[in-house]
Amino acid sequence: MQKEPQGGLAEVLDLILDKGLVIDAFVKVSLVGIELITIDARIVVASVDTYLKFAEATNRLDLHAKGGKDLGEFLGGATEGVTQGGAKGKTKGVLDAGKEKWDEVRGERQSQSRRDKA
Amino acid sequence: MTSTENTTQARDTTRGSYIYGIVPAGIRIPDGLDPIPHGDDAGQLGLVTEGNLAAVVSDVAADRPLGTRRDLMAHEAVLNAIAQEIPVLPMRFGAVVTDDDAVAEELLAPHQDYFVRALEQLKGHLEFRLRGDYDQDAVLSRIVEADPRIQQMREKIAGVDEDASYYDRIRLGEAISNAMDQFRADDAQACVDALSKFAVATEVKEAGGENGAVHLAFLVRTDNRSDFERAVDDLGDEWSGRVELRLIGPTAAFDFLPEFDAPDEAKA
Repeated sequence: MQKEPQGGLAEVLDLILDKGLVIDAFVKVSLVGIELITIDARIVVASVDTYLKFAEATNRLDLHAKGGKDLGEFLGGATEGVTQGGAKGKTKGVLDAGKEKWDEVRGERQSQSRRDKA
Repeated sequence: MTSTENTTQARDTTRGSYIYGIVPAGIRIPDGLDPIPHGDDAGQLGLVTEGNLAAVVSDVAADRPLGTRRDLMAHEAVLNAIAQEIPVLPMRFGAVVTDDDAVAEELLAPHQDYFVRALEQLKGHLEFRLRGDYDQDAVLSRIVEADPRIQQMREKIAGVDEDASYYDRIRLGEAISNAMDQFRADDAQACVDALSKFAVATEVKEAGGENGAVHLAFLVRTDNRSDFERAVDDLGDEWSGRVELRLIGPTAAFDFLPEFDAPDEAKA
C-alpha cells in the first residue's frame, strides 16, 4: 500500500482541471482572461490498440498451472519470438510517454482560452 | 521583495490576482509553500479577507499562459497543504481576476452565504482518493484460467504470424478487456463495501488506463481517519500481488463541494 500526499501530475490534472469552483460562476465583471495551456491528461488509447496489447501480454503469459506441459513449452518458445517483435516496443513507448514524459508530450497540448469582456 | 512601485497607472493590466481557494477568515497559510511562478519574482501567497471569509491568492502575470507543470502542481500543493488542517473550497485551476478588490467585492462578498455554508459542511472532513492498478500478468492469468473460450483463443494465435492472426488477436483482446471490466465493477464494489462505512460520502470514478482497477473518492470525518486508513491497509494486504493500491490525500474536497445555486440577484 502506497500513501501519497499529493499524487502525480496525472492525478492532479484530473482534479484541478475538472473539479473545483469555477470562477466564472461567481465573478462576472473583473475576470481576467488568461490563456490556459493544459496537457490532456486522459490518454485515450484506441480500443483496438488496447485489445492487441492484451492479446500480446496474454500470449506471453507463462501459464504453468494448467495441464499440457508440451503445449506450454511450445508456446513459451513461440511467444518469445513474438514478444521480441515490434508490438512490445511500441507499447512501452506509449506507456512511457503517458506516464512520465509529460513535457515531451506537450506537443499535443490542448489550448483553450477564455476571454472576458474587457 | 524590494518593491519600488511605479503606480503610474490607475489600474495595472499586466498582473492579476490568482485565486487558489476560499477559507475561513483568520487562518494562517502554512509556511514554505511556493505559489505559481510570477515573472522573476518568487511571488508570495496572501489572503484577501472579507467578513468571515478569506481567499488564498498570489500575483500572476496577465500575459503569460498558465498551465506548466509547475503551475499545476503549485495550485494543488497549496490547496493540499491548507486542507490538512483547515476546510478549504478549492477553485478550479486558472481563476484570475483583476485585483484583490475584485476578489473581495465580486467573489467573496456577494456569495458569502454559500461559501460560509459550504465551509461549515466540510469542516472536520478530509477527502481521500483511492487508486488501484492491476498487476497485468496476474489479472490476465486469472482471466485465461477462468475462461476456456479465452484459452482456446489464446492457443489459436500462439505461434501464428502477427499479420495472419490480427483479427484473432483483436477478438482475444476484446474478450479480455470485457472480462477486466467485470473485474473492475466487482473490485469497485468491494472497495465500497469495505470502506464506505468509514466515510460520509463515497464516489466511484472511472479507473482509467488499461491496467486501471479502481478509482474512488471518499469524504472522511477527521475522527474516522485512522479507521479508514486501517481498512484501506487491510484491503491493500488482501489484494497484494493482484491490485496495487495507492491512497492519495488528504486533499482539498474537490469531489464533495456542496452544490452552488446561482443567487437570486444573478437571475434577475
